[in-house]
Parts: sequence; structure tokens; C-alpha cells
Amino acid sequence: MTKTHLNRRKFLSHSCAVGLTGTAGVTVGSSLLQLGLSRSVAAQGASGPDDYRALVCILLAGGNDSFNMLLPNDADQYSEYAALRSDLALPQANLLPLNGSTVNGRNYAVHPGMPEVQSLYANGELAMIANVGTLIEPVDAAAIEAGARIPLGLASHADQIAQWQTAQPDTRTAQGWGGRIADLISNQNLDNGISMSISLAGTNLFQAGLNTVEYSISPDEDGAQGIIGYNDGSDFETFRRATIDNMLGVTHTNLLRREYAERMRRSIESQLVFTAALENTPTNLSAFSANPFSNALRQIARTIEARGELGACRQTFFVLAGGWDHHDDVINNQARMLPAISRGLNEFRTALTGLEVFDKVTTFTCSDFGRTLTSNGKGSDHGWGGHHMVMGGAVNGGQIYGDYPLLSSSSPLDIGRGVYIPTTSIDSYFAELALWLGVAPSDLSSVLPNVSRFYSPSSTTPPLGFLLG
Amino acid sequence: METSKLVARSLSVIAMVWLLTACGGGSDSITPVANPPPDPQPLEPTAAEIASASRFSAQATFGLPYERILEVARMGNEAWLDSQLALPITRHTPITLGLVERRLAGEFESIEENQDLLVNFRRYSWWHNSITAPDEVRQRVALALSEILVVSDKVDLLLLRPLALSTYYDTLLEGATGNYRDLLEDIALHPSMGFYLSHVNNAKTDPLNNTFPDENFAREVMQLFAIGLFELNNDGTQKLLADGGPIPTYSGVDIREFAKIFTGLSWGGDNAFFGNTDPNFVNPMVMFDDFHEPGEKHLLNGVVVPDGQTGTADVRSAIDNLFNHPNVGPFLGRQLIQRLVTSNPSSGYIDRVAQAFNDNGTGVRGDMKAVIRAILLDAEAKTPSTTATAGKLREPLVRNVALLRQLNPTSADGLFFNGGYFTETLTQQHVLSATSVFNFFLPDHIPTGPLADAGLFAPEMQITNSTTIVGVTNLIDIAVNGEVATDVSSPFSRLELDLTEFEGLASNPDDLIERLDVLFTFGEMEDATKVVIRNIISGLDDMELRAKTAIYITLISPDYAVRI
Repeated sequence: MTKTHLNRRKFLSHSCAVGLTGTAGVTVGSSLLQLGLSRSVAAQGASGPDDYRALVCILLAGGNDSFNMLLPNDADQYSEYAALRSDLALPQANLLPLNGSTVNGRNYAVHPGMPEVQSLYANGELAMIANVGTLIEPVDAAAIEAGARIPLGLASHADQIAQWQTAQPDTRTAQGWGGRIADLISNQNLDNGISMSISLAGTNLFQAGLNTVEYSISPDEDGAQGIIGYNDGSDFETFRRATIDNMLGVTHTNLLRREYAERMRRSIESQLVFTAALENTPTNLSAFSANPFSNALRQIARTIEARGELGACRQTFFVLAGGWDHHDDVINNQARMLPAISRGLNEFRTALTGLEVFDKVTTFTCSDFGRTLTSNGKGSDHGWGGHHMVMGGAVNGGQIYGDYPLLSSSSPLDIGRGVYIPTTSIDSYFAELALWLGVAPSDLSSVLPNVSRFYSPSSTTPPLGFLLG
Repeated sequence: METSKLVARSLSVIAMVWLLTACGGGSDSITPVANPPPDPQPLEPTAAEIASASRFSAQATFGLPYERILEVARMGNEAWLDSQLALPITRHTPITLGLVERRLAGEFESIEENQDLLVNFRRYSWWHNSITAPDEVRQRVALALSEILVVSDKVDLLLLRPLALSTYYDTLLEGATGNYRDLLEDIALHPSMGFYLSHVNNAKTDPLNNTFPDENFAREVMQLFAIGLFELNNDGTQKLLADGGPIPTYSGVDIREFAKIFTGLSWGGDNAFFGNTDPNFVNPMVMFDDFHEPGEKHLLNGVVVPDGQTGTADVRSAIDNLFNHPNVGPFLGRQLIQRLVTSNPSSGYIDRVAQAFNDNGTGVRGDMKAVIRAILLDAEAKTPSTTATAGKLREPLVRNVALLRQLNPTSADGLFFNGGYFTETLTQQHVLSATSVFNFFLPDHIPTGPLADAGLFAPEMQITNSTTIVGVTNLIDIAVNGEVATDVSSPFSRLELDLTEFEGLASNPDDLIERLDVLFTFGEMEDATKVVIRNIISGLDDMELRAKTAIYITLISPDYAVRI
């Protein structure tokens, strides 16, 4: 048995269709290699092989100091900025102005290390979302003073990084909003055991649903590493495969053992399907830099390139770019790290354009929180609201969405040390992305349980308007 | 990258070895597994006692080989544990320092053309001591503490300075059998923590420049190292408000007060001064009162630090304040139970351990020996649980060390060094190498699906995904079948596994399987797994191959991966 047994025609005959019945549950105990092959392919209501959409979530773990990524560029607001940030202020002369951008008639700029983002913005392919953050309900400083509900564990990394992925700042839950989307719509994909949630950073909350577990691939080489000897076509393979398959055929009563066996079995099965799909897809990707972030984006582009072989119609991808907790040396660290993000985004854009799918893939950033506007003398501390980027051919770019707050030492949004209350909720931000990916308005509240506090799912206008229909 | 190439090369070598040696599959017969005959020596431990000692040693240490398990069984868990706790500390810094000095003398110049050995030294010390140090319980507990009081070589300076993490680990070793009050102060003043959580060179408020004390360490010492986010009962359950919500242990204001405490510290050593940019990872950080925030500081539970104390006195007051918070016992106790024994301890178990933290029986709070005894000698640790929700997934790193310890390791030069890069590349885990202060996994991680439905925490599942589960399986394959157990190059010897013990049992597959079951799964291997192993190895004629194959299947099996 080798990879050639994978039936290529069945993959190709899968068409993306909305509202197919059936679930993606996988039977335990079948011969592993046959899973994904013997499934009948539901193809009714085909809407064409080009009906593909994906969300790419870039998590800037640690809390990016985004008030130094997107900055006010008018004289009066820049001087407020400079006064608040003291030793953390970037010189105005070095900033890269965002052309034609105005929010309330004001001008903004990006960090000097992000020229690619500046051009993507100018081309209308990238939008900024200003001062977005976790909220349970809309609040201002007075409401908080009066006891309004604010997110659990505000400014705690563990809580805030979780809440950006779960969109539930009022509770601790094991499901993320990407996973809940997959629970709803992954039946559009071919039922071959490959999760709709594909992670370049291992297990994560964003992509975990009630019935969805992420498929983790590696940024290196072919992505999916197999068990040595399981599928190499040698005589040894028969022996090794019998060993593993029989071992995994054992029924366990202990739940942890059962879960471990299930993860191992699923890993083996997915690797066979994934590797075959990539091998059957000639690659024609443009170049990426050699660093972990670009490697991850290259692997995503490669997976998207193989979407036909994978039978994928809707996917989410998760990338983690960590190390943004800059209590110390924020200036030098951002000068080193933001350019890698900017370059990576541009390389990803070029690759997706080459694959003619740039308008089918929307890439967005998340982070634990923004940071204090005021300095600790070396860096900045944990904050709340922050600024984010959305990129894609479907993005109505060249604009800043949400309210960029007027910076001031007496801002009504400041709850101390220049920690600004978000003026746009993550619910509004994510609702726009979820609707674009194909979540029905009537299902929006099951993806984003608190969304109706910020946006009416039955509204005829989009939550923020940064995505074209 | 060099490491991944090395791994890839080893994988292909192993595949070749297998091609040459593998035989056909096993027979289809299913034979019930015989029980070992009763031991004729009345003083020798029973099979049940041996299995029990095996379980205990897997909780208390990185795993013991069979002969040593017999020793524990003969002595009894408690007596053996007490003898362990009385042993002197085997520190890591002397080994690291010795290597640094040999390097300075030019000994490693020729091998360093291709690699920088300096970053390996603290890893060599760790593997050597984790495999060989006599104070096995202390070494194991120190790893558990390193996953709570986290610093990491993912920060360049801590990677490049070999003493940074060896001296830190020695601090954990001292704390593991010392008092938690002292450990908290020692890590607060340790230069590696000062650098990792940025309170080294943290200055007082400067109104002129609008700068404020760094809040990083102040927050994490409360959230992660001492009390957690919410008020706890002594049994680890949350205290609740009238509306059913949890009670936060501290506010943003409290964090800013504690941030004032941790100002004025800089690198220690000769010619120290505040703002010094030349790191010192040997001496504790020292206080410079001119840069320490003046004035009162409001600590938790109404405690006020008066104006005019020295910075050092402020730090001590703050550590006392946190250490005496009622949360510490259940907060720390639950996590240590999770690291050493089980993912889902009962509230009664947490309560008993927290009580030992609160009072060791002679009125001392924070006695870690009492905490360790309470964790490891508790009935809940000792009794094999028959419930489907019991157990703990083994950490990949601990699986790796256990394999090397329990399969009779030898080394030509007596050094058991390991770079650990195979381990880290394939499993995403290595000691003091987490990607953030939140460790490799969170104590409250709940995997989606059946485990969430059953309300179970399973921290280690957070790093068990389709990439790493294959990785750990291949890591075991490389060590057992590929005979590449460690990654280290000349002039140091590579660790060899001596499988004679198992080859000697292999002529009767049941004997071999029973030994592996006692050694690795304490008699909890599923009967069906035994049948699978038996069927496979019965078809192999070569005793070495039988032994290796049976060990490989055992160590990659869900039966072993999850300890019950």
C-alpha cells in the first residue's frame, strides 16, 4: 500500500457546496490508510471549485505595543503622543505616513520598519482597525467606575490571549470562535479527516470547537511529519504499520488514554492524506524569506495551493508570532520584529496573488492587548485596546476602521498609565470576518456569543465595513 | 537548520537499520497472559508491592530501573522517600562552570568550528544530573518547579550565558527541599528572573520624564508564582461572591503598588551600580536605594509597608505578604500534584497537601519537604484508580529522561551529556525553554471533545498535537531502535542503552511483556495491548529485535503515554 492508492479522482470530484448534510466524524478502528478514500463524496449543489475562502489568524503573542505601530501624524496629536510616551516615542520624521488616510480629518502613520504595510495600505489591500479590544459590554471610564462588567483577568496575558481567541471575555471556555465556525461549516470540505482548522503553531484555543480539533502542521519542509517506517513503501513498512495499527486498535476505558490514541490515529491518517495532496500538487509559489514567520506563511500558501487535492472549501489557519511582551527595550525589539511581519505579509500577498486567490484569503492580526502609553523607563506594560491589521483582496483597504482615540493625558478612555478602553469590541471585528467566511447571520451568535451587545446580526449593514461582500 | 538536518539524517539511518533487520509480522493467536509465579522468598516484595513501588518511583523521580524499583519495594515508599530527602543537593553549576573553563582553555576549539558548544553546557549539566544524580526526588521536583517559576532560554541572553540557567536551576534545587518563602525571595532576586521579567534596572517613578515602575514581575509573581487570580479555599476550589462570581486576589492598583517594591535592583558582583548593562548571572541582584521607589506601599490584605524602609526590606515585606496569603498552599499544591501525580486531583487531596504547606506539623509554613511527602505519600497517589477519568499524560521531556534512566544507560566517559535538540525539535519541550512565562502548557488546559465533556483538565495535551505526537514516537524510535539516544558529539561519549536485561527475558514473550508492564505501566497495561505486543514479537527470531520491538511499542503506546 502506498500513496498511489489515494484516489485522486475523488479529491478532484469534490465541489464546494454550502449546506451539505453529514458530519466530519471519523470512525475509529478502520484501516487507517483507507480512511479518506472510501468515503462517498457528496457533490450536490456544487458551486464550483473556485468557491474557496480562508481566514488566516496571526497572533502576535505577548501584547504588541501597537501605539508604536499605528501612530497619529498631525502636529497636535503627535506632540500629545510624544509627551505621553516620553522615551518610547518614535521620532516623527521617521514615520511612514499612510496616504490619504483620514479619521475625523486626521492623519496617521505606521512604524518606520513597515514600508510594505504602508504600500499595501496605499494599494487598498490592507486596512487598520483602531483601538480594538476585549469588552463584555460597551463601557467608558465612568461606567467602569460605576461597576460595569469588564473582561475577566484584564491585562493578564493568559486570560487576554485566551479571550482574543474565544471571544468570550466573561467566561473561561475551551472553544474558540474559529473552532465554532468549523463546527458549523466544515461539512463543506471533503470528509477526508483533514480538519478545517489548520495550525502552524500547534494546539490553540482559536481553532478548537466542540467537534473540531486543529490539524497541526510544521512550517518546515512538507509540513506533515510521519511516523518513521509507516508509509515508505518498504518491506519494513508492512511490519511497522501492523504494529502501530494493531496497537491503536486497542480499546481503552481511561479517557486520557483514549484521547491520546485518538490523537495519534488522527495524526497518522491526516499525514497520509495531507502529504499525498501536496505531492499531487505541483508548486509554483513565489519566494519567502527564511524566518519562522515567513516559513509559516509559505506553508499556508502551499496548503492553499493544494486546496483542490485536499478538498478544502473553507479553512482557517493559525500562525503564532511571539515575543511582543516588551516591558524592556521596546524600541529596539519592535525595530527588529515589525519589519519581519511587514515583509512576511507582503510575501504572502505576492504568493496568494500568484495563486489567484488573494481575494479569497483574508489575513488579520490579534494580540493579547495593547500596552500602556506611558513608559516604565525601558518599555511599556500591559494595556487594553490596541490596533490591528487586516489584509486581502476582499479587504476594503486604505482606511482605518473604528475610532482612533484622541491621545491626551486627560483622555476619558484612560484608566491609568495610558491604558485605553477599547472603542471597538473584538466581537465587531470578528463578526465581519466570520460573516465573510460564510457564517450565516442567524448563526453569528453561536460563533460570537456576545456579539448582539455590539452588533445586530440581522442588520443590513456590516459590523465595521472593512470587507467587501 | 543544523538540528533538523541532524534529525532528518538520523531518521534515514534508522529506516535503513530497520530495513536490514525487520522480519515479518506476528501470529494471529491470542494467548491469555500468565501471572508471574509467587515469589518463594517471604522477605522479597510481592508483585503488587513491586508494581506499587514502580508507580511511586515514576511519580517521585524521572523513573528507576527494575533493580532500583525492587530496592524501593523492599524499603517501603516512606522510608525510601525520607532517605532521598536527606541527601545533599547535586548542583548543576559546577558541571557547567567546569565546561566553561575547559572551553576557555581552548579544549573545544576544533569542534566549535561547526557549532557553538557554549549554549549546550547548561543542557549537558541538566541531562547528566537528571540521569545520574543521587538526589533523584529533588531533581524531579526541581523540574516541576521550573514549570511554575518559569524562565527560558528563548530569551537570547539566557541562552548565550551558560551560567544563567544553571544557577537558576540550582536555586530551584535548593528550594525544592527548602522553604517556599526563601525560594520566592531567591527567584525574585535571581538575575535570570530579573532579566526574564525585566525588573533588573527597574527604576522608581520619574515624574519629569513621565515614566513609571515596570509592572511585569509584580504581576507574574502574584498570578503565577504565589497566589493566582482568584481567592481559593484550602481545597483549591474558588471562593465565590454572592452572585456566584470568583473573587479577584488583586487589582490593577495592587500591581502598581507591588511594581514600586521591585524597583532599584541591578546586577550584582563587583563594581555594581544601577543601570549597569553588564550582566552577572552568578550573584543575586542587589538593591540601590537611590533608585528604589520611596513612600508607603499598600500590599495585599491591608498590609502597609511604611515609608523609609530600605528597598531590601521592602522586597522582604512584599515576599512575606504574598507567602502568607492563604492561596499559596492550594495554588502551589495543586500544580505540584499535577506535575508529579495526577491532572485532576480531588479537592480532598489538594486540601491535605495545602495543609502540609500551611503547617509541617511543627508550626512551620512553606516546608517543601512536608509538601513533597504529602503529595507523594497520599493515598490518592498510591492507589491505582479504576475510574475512567484518572491519570496524567506524561510530559514528552519526562518520557525522554525516563527512557534513558530505565533502560540501563551506560556511557564510556561516565558523562551523560545531551544537547536535547532532538527532544526539543521533535516534542517542542525542553527544560527551561518554554516560549513564555506561561510554561509549555497551562494547569487549566481543557482539551475539546470527550475530555471537556467529562470536565477534565489535561495540561500536557496542550503540546500533544499531530506534529508532536509523531515527534515523540519517532524520538523513542531513534533512541531504542536507532540506537541514537542522545545528541552529543566528541569528545563526549554518547549514552548507550544496555538491553541485556530484556533480551534475557525475550525467549518467553510473556516474561518480557510482564517486565515491561511492571517497569513502565505498573501493571496497568491493557490486556489487549499485551496481546498485540506478544503477537508481533513472537514472529521475531532475534532476541535483541524482540526486546527492542517490545520496548518500542510499550513506550509509544497510549498505555504508557498516560499514567494511571
